[in-house]
Order: sequence, then structure tokens, then C-alpha cells
Amino acid sequence: MIVAAGAPAGPIVPNFGSGNRCVVENHTFCWSWVNAHWGDTLQPALSQHVELSAIAIGIGFVIAFTTGLLTYRRRWMSRPLEGFSALLYTIPSLALFQILVPFTGITTTTVEVALVAYTLVMLFPNIVAGLNSVPADALDVARAMGFTRRQTLLSVELPLALPTIVAGLRVAVVSTVSLATIAAFLLPKGLGYPIFLALKEPSPFRTEIYAAGALTVALALVADLLLVALRRFLVPWARRGAV
Amino acid sequence: MTLAAISMHDFLDAFRFIGSNWNLLLDKAAQQLELAGAALGLAIVLVLPLGLVLGHLRRGSTLAIAASIAGRALPVLVLIAALLTVFGIGFVNNMIALAVLASGPILTNSYEGVARVEPRVVDAARASGMTGAGVLRQIELPLAIPLLATGVRIAAVTVVATAPIAAIAGGGGLGDIIVNQAGYGFDGVLGASLCAMALSLIAYGLLSALERAVTPVGLRRLAELEKGNRRQEAVSVTAIT
Amino acid sequence: MTFARVKTFAVGAIVLAGLAAGLTGCGSSGSSGNKPKIVLGTKNFSEEYILGQLYKQALEAKGFTVSYKENIGSTEIITAALNSGKINLYPEYTGEIVQDVFHHASTPATEAATYQLGKKLEQQKGYTLFNRTPFSDTNAVVVTKATATRYKLKQIADLNRIPGLKLGGLPECATRFNCLIGLRKEYGLKVKFVPLAGISSYTALDAGTVQTAIGFSTDPVLGPNSKYVVLPDSKHLFGFQNIAPIVSQKLVKAYGSKLGDTINSVSALLTTPAMIAMNKAVSVDKQSPQAVAQAFLKANGLL
Repeated sequence: MIVAAGAPAGPIVPNFGSGNRCVVENHTFCWSWVNAHWGDTLQPALSQHVELSAIAIGIGFVIAFTTGLLTYRRRWMSRPLEGFSALLYTIPSLALFQILVPFTGITTTTVEVALVAYTLVMLFPNIVAGLNSVPADALDVARAMGFTRRQTLLSVELPLALPTIVAGLRVAVVSTVSLATIAAFLLPKGLGYPIFLALKEPSPFRTEIYAAGALTVALALVADLLLVALRRFLVPWARRGAV
Repeated sequence: MTLAAISMHDFLDAFRFIGSNWNLLLDKAAQQLELAGAALGLAIVLVLPLGLVLGHLRRGSTLAIAASIAGRALPVLVLIAALLTVFGIGFVNNMIALAVLASGPILTNSYEGVARVEPRVVDAARASGMTGAGVLRQIELPLAIPLLATGVRIAAVTVVATAPIAAIAGGGGLGDIIVNQAGYGFDGVLGASLCAMALSLIAYGLLSALERAVTPVGLRRLAELEKGNRRQEAVSVTAIT
Repeated sequence: MTFARVKTFAVGAIVLAGLAAGLTGCGSSGSSGNKPKIVLGTKNFSEEYILGQLYKQALEAKGFTVSYKENIGSTEIITAALNSGKINLYPEYTGEIVQDVFHHASTPATEAATYQLGKKLEQQKGYTLFNRTPFSDTNAVVVTKATATRYKLKQIADLNRIPGLKLGGLPECATRFNCLIGLRKEYGLKVKFVPLAGISSYTALDAGTVQTAIGFSTDPVLGPNSKYVVLPDSKHLFGFQNIAPIVSQKLVKAYGSKLGDTINSVSALLTTPAMIAMNKAVSVDKQSPQAVAQAFLKANGLL
């Protein structure tokens, strides 16, 4: 038997298997796809999303808190900062990302700067409002007991301001998780990326959109619940009924 | 070249783009306002009456507050993508997505606006023989206008600021240029981004002025006083300020 | 005492945030040794993701370290990334090199000539091309079966029969001779262009937003039993578009022939049927480009 040596052999095209009907016909939701692709698509996107959001909120909180502490007593300082914050929030996120690109390029830094800016916008007014909402009576009592400025701040003002600050944190966290989806327009990171990819398919892929969307909302809700628990831990005396 | 020089160069190119594509940018801005206006109108028509009635009946406060939180927790990208799979591409799916976004502040503030009217005032009106509907129309609604106006302002600015994203699903507007670097170059993208920013700021300014104009002076002063006295807790979670 | 709790929490939060800030600041700037890092990029559509994964996994199997940047953008954008040194290797189409990177009005008459011209042009800039793949993926003028039947469309020029004709395509199509410009000039099409930045041409066709759109010849939805019709490119406007990875000469010098051999061994396997099968697995059967590439490389002994 003669084997034709040197005959061009085409590549072996493995049988990739056809996707199940649900996926190929783009039904509303295909659990099989979610199970199959949790590891390679959904879970990495989720981790990236958590990372992006956490960094933004962490840095944003530190800046807002420090600035708030420095300026809450001086309304002439905090008012304009609050006004500036409100204006910053009106900038469309897509636009803000692109405006930052000449400075920091198409990198995670650009995305984080924008997300931090939005977080600041939501946190700063709340921190200032919280610190300023301490009743005058409490401050009088502290003064009467001979507390120093520092003691008053740490033992009276901060604890009483905490509910408002945490409330602001909740808004900021939920909004940041939501905004971080837009980051996928610049970088292939976060839960927005699967959504962008799914939209580009010849027939936008429903399961991927709903799965990534549901994960984003779930993440926001979980973060919110964690903060409520945190507030209860830190401020056990706060009214349960307060939102 | 230093970072500053590179950045300045980009911005100069962007301004040049704006200068030479004025008509295009105005066209796109008008398109964006059209989408935003339609979405806002839809939200107001559907949700404002609901909020007013709920507030009058002092029921469904959880719903009203949850609406704002849901509005924040639901990314607009997810909304647009999900609605696209139902309504297809174009104006409608984007209008509905943005309307959902606008509903939060409108529902919350219309509810709170009516619900926070002094109970004694409502009692006095009822005592003098007014019907429920009459109370709502003649007492609660006028007193609710400051918060209502704030809610509409927040909703409107949110919608104008979020509209650029709609470009990925055929919604038009300045976003068309921002997502299309291949077609317009980075100077176009940056130029349109700056314009989108300006549009948002203008909308914010105009609507804030409108809000102030619509609020009776006495109520405005009263609101300032109340803001100062009351604990700010609930305020920061909902859309009110 | 709650004050103590607050203090602990505050200190912890600040430390965490500081760490986080430090970590982002440190980014990925580390470069070990004197060899330039292999940074492989891809353009912004499904076929490129598959190609990227194929080359990436094949290289890593041979011991190379690859930094992978997916979804950078269209030809114009990724060329800018290449020129600025952000990437030094990516899969490009030969015709696009000639027409869209170097702005020649038309492509040469044969596949080989297109490749050679592209190679020569890139070499003048400090880059070069690895071998080309057997498959070619050109633009395709697509209409739905219904539209074709309704207006009796047999060739591209017939499209002028459609009133208010709208053509959809990727945004970069508007400025390219092998796309909108050529269609208007060579085929005399009177058409309004609708740029599609985030959605596929087929989505727009199905929705009726456009009556015709630009697809790609290896799109799986154009395979057997397709609900679309491709109008033939009789004037060869769309040229030849084999894949030939562009690489910086510095990289070739640093890594020697092993780099080229690995990449070429992958490219040699990419016939049109193979590519269409992989495109189908990703676009229709919704498998990940990573898994599909891995299966293909394994089946052919490259992994």
C-alpha cells in the first residue's frame, strides 16, 4: 500500500459540537451556557468588576473623608466644593473617560480616576452634612465635660455623623458598581464587557446580557446589605427604622 | 514630549474639530435632547401621577424609596441591552431605558413632596369639608412643588447626561461620535465628549434656574430652614436633594 | 465602646485604601531583563479574538510569555497602538495593510502580490509580516433573502433599485476605498451610510434599519442554510484579505526564528473551512474564543 508522502494535509478541524438549541436559537435564558461559561467569562468579569469598584470606593472615601473633616466647619470652603461636586456628577461617564484619556491613556488608571471622581461627588456632601448635623446640645455637653476638639470629634461628632455617612456610602457604592459597567467601553474589564460583546453578535445574545446584568445588580445589592450590617455594627443605637 | 504637552495637543485638536464641525455637533446635540425629552416626558406622564396619589394616600413609601435605589443599582447599559433584546434597536428601546432611569427621582420626590406636607394643614382642609381629591389638588400639590421640581430637575439632568450611552444601540446623539473613534478620530471623540459635558452643564444650569423660578419664595425659605434643622439621614438615600 | 470600634474601622479602611492606591499605582510596568516583552493585541471583533487566542496559546505552549490586549479597536486605532509601542504584534489582513494603513487606492491583483506589497511597506517602517494564512476574509455586501427576492437583486449595482437605500457597516467603512467609497465610486451606489458602532450588521439588517450591510466572508451566518444573500464582488473591490501577523522587527531580532516558526505553524492551519468552523463555534454556539482556540490547537498537536 502506497502512502502518498508529502500530500498536503489540511488541518484537523475538531468537532466543536453544536451549541444546544437554547443557545443557537437565542432563547431568553440558557442556564447551560451560564454553567459552561461561569469560569471563563462571567466569574473573571465579576472579579474585575469588584476590583474596579472597590478601589474607586476606597480611594474616594479616603479623599472625601479627609476633605470633609478639614472643611465641614468652614462653610465657605465646603459649599463651593459641594457645588463643584454636583456639577461633576452631570458629566456623562463616557465623556469623562475620553476627556481623561489624553492624560492617563487607555488604562485602568483613567477608569479609576473617573470612578473616584463620581464617588467623591456622592460622598463629600453626605460627609459634610453628617458632621454638620450633630445637634448643638451634644456639642455643648461635650464642651461642658471638658472634651478637647479631638475628643469631641472622635467621641461625639463622628459617631453621631456615622448614619449619614454610611447612607452616603450606600448610595456611592451602588452607583459606582453601576457606573463601572461603562468602563468596559475603554478596557475589556468588568461586567460591562460581556454585555458589549453580546451586543455585537449577529443576534444580540440574550443569556449573556441577562446574566451579566443580573450579576451587576446582585453585586450592588450585596454591597448595600453589607453596608447596612456595617452600620448596625458601628452604630447599634441608631433607629432601626431609618433607611 | 511631556504629558502636559501631549494632553494640550489632544485638546487643541478637539477644539479644532468642534470649530469645524459645528453643524454636526448641534445636530447630534439636538438628537440627544430629543431622546432625553421623550424619555423624561414618558417618565413624568407614567410615574408622576402615581407618586402623587401614593403620597396622598401615604402608602407605598417603600416602593417610592426603592424606586430611587433601583434606579441607581440598575446600570443603564444593562437596561439598554436588555430592552434591545425585546424592542430591537433604535429610538424606542433607548427612550424606555432612559425613562426607567428618570422614574426613580420623579417617583420618590413626588411621593415625598406630597407625603411631607404638614398633617395639620391636611387635617384643617378636610375639616373644612374638602374631598380627598380636592386636598390633593389644592393643598398638597402646590406645597409639593419644591420637591417635585427638584425631582424633575434631577431626572432631567440624569437623562441628558446618560443619553450618550444610547449610541451603542442606535440611539443617536453626541454619543454617536464618542463611540465612533474609527469614524471621527480621537479629536472628534474628545470634541464630542467636551460638548456632551457642556450640554449637561447647560441643562443643569437651566433646570436649576427653572426649579428656583417655579418654587414660591416662601416655600423656598421654608425648605432651607427645614434642611438645616432636620437630620439629613433619609435625605441622602433618596433623590430629594 | 463604639468610639473604639469606629477608630479601628477607620484605621483599617484607610490602610486598605492606601494599599489599593499603591497597588493600582504599581500597574504593570515591570520589565524583567533586556528582551522586549511580547505584547499581542487584537482588533475588536470575534474572528480577531479567536486569532489572538490561537497565537497566544501556541506561543505560551512553546514557553513564550505573552501580554495579551484584546479588543483594542479598528485598524486605525490598533495601528496607532502599534506605532506608539503599546503592542508589538497583532494579526492584520493583508489588503487592509495596503489600503487602510498605507492608503493605497487599490489592492494588487493577486493574493501573493498583496502580501508582498504589504510586507514591503511594513518593512520600511520597522515592522514585518509573518506568513499569511490560507484563508481570506473580505468584506461582503449582504442583504436578507427577503430583500433579494423583493427587488430581484443579483449583483451589487442592483441595490440602486431600492428607494432610500441605507447601508450599514462598521464606522471605519465610511472612509475606506475598499468599502463605502469604492462602493459609491466603482459600483455607482447611491446610498446613505449608517455606522454601526456597537451592534452587528446582521442585527441592523434583521431590524430593517438598513436594507443592506457589510458583513465578512467568513461569517458563520453566511454559511449553509443562511437567511442572507451575498451579492458578488465582480469588480474585486474588496481585494484579498489573508491574515498575516504584523510584528516589530525588534521583537523578531530578540526572539529569533522560534517566534516566527511558532506563529507560522498556526497560520498554516487556518484554512477557510477551519476559520468558518471556529467562527461558528464562537458566534453561533456561543463558546468562548479561548476554548475554541484551545480545542483547535490540541487537535492539531500544537498544544
